[in-house]
Amino acid sequence: MSDYHLNRVLYEKAREHKMPDGIGPDETAEYDLTPEERAALAEGDLEALFRLGANPYLIRRVFRKRFKV
Amino acid sequence: MATIVAAAMTSHAPNMTATPEAAPAQRKRFLAGLEEMRRRLIAARPDLVMMFVNDHVQNFFYDNLPAYCVGVGDKHWAPRGAAGFLKIPERQVPGAPDWAKSLLATGLEAGFDLAVSHELEFWDDVSVPAHFLMPEGTLPIVPVLTNCVAPPLPTPKRSWQLGSFVRRFIEGRPAHERIALIATGGISHWIGVPNTGHINPEWDHWVLETLAEGRGEELAALTWSQIERDGGNGGQEIRNWISVAAAVPGVKGEILTYEPVKEWLTGCGAVWMQL
Repeated sequence: MSDYHLNRVLYEKAREHKMPDGIGPDETAEYDLTPEERAALAEGDLEALFRLGANPYLIRRVFRKRFKV
Repeated sequence: MATIVAAAMTSHAPNMTATPEAAPAQRKRFLAGLEEMRRRLIAARPDLVMMFVNDHVQNFFYDNLPAYCVGVGDKHWAPRGAAGFLKIPERQVPGAPDWAKSLLATGLEAGFDLAVSHELEFWDDVSVPAHFLMPEGTLPIVPVLTNCVAPPLPTPKRSWQLGSFVRRFIEGRPAHERIALIATGGISHWIGVPNTGHINPEWDHWVLETLAEGRGEELAALTWSQIERDGGNGGQEIRNWISVAAAVPGVKGEILTYEPVKEWLTGCGAVWMQL
């Protein structure tokens, strides 16, 4: 499974310059995601997103509030 | 034959401006280094600044992601959408379309196939250094972007070759032109990864001293894995520095400042090459 759509969600969100806690299923419905990817986005699960191939810069950009530093 | 009148490198980080209250002592020392760079840049009287930078997945996404790209627009956003976060006023800085298009065309003839963009939006990559180095926003900027953030990345060796090509291109330009080269990015930082916030000052000092001693080509021999291990994923941005070093091969430099700023998540250095 490609991580393309996972990154697409993050890219679109990053361009909104918002810092959500999570990106819920209503916002990801139109994207071709696995259940695991959808859950990681909804929860803003940093480690899972990284493991699933999300670009670290996009993880940081979108979920900045979830980082300890 | 045009003249390279300045060559310098500096780190960039959004928190340099986004959280100005954090790390006040280190910020003061680092910005003193940038102020000295600014003083020297003005004294060099460039009429154009080439900026070797990297996108942060704001202009280029995975549907169309160039290894190298030159910005040929007559203006560049620096910043636009990120202005609120960076706490830098939204603005456009001038480009140099004819010069940039000449670089593009010459590259295609010479076997260096740069991608091209007519509209670019910069985040901390250009906006933050330009805020401190060129606050007037009057010097034309030609940005050359290297993919440092979405692997697979071009090799450091290729970035050296890019700088060598740029040097040859400038040598072929009219004699009256005065060109400054500024790289931004690096040095070590781990960003968005599980150990986000880690900095490796030992590696940073090695990078800075290697450049200062005029041995930048040694950095071009690094592999992606070596940089990832010692400099983190953010350390991959030293490709920008390598290109500038390659444009002034053998030239020694002066380390203007170095601060491993935890609050900026980045080993922050600045080097002025002594042409």
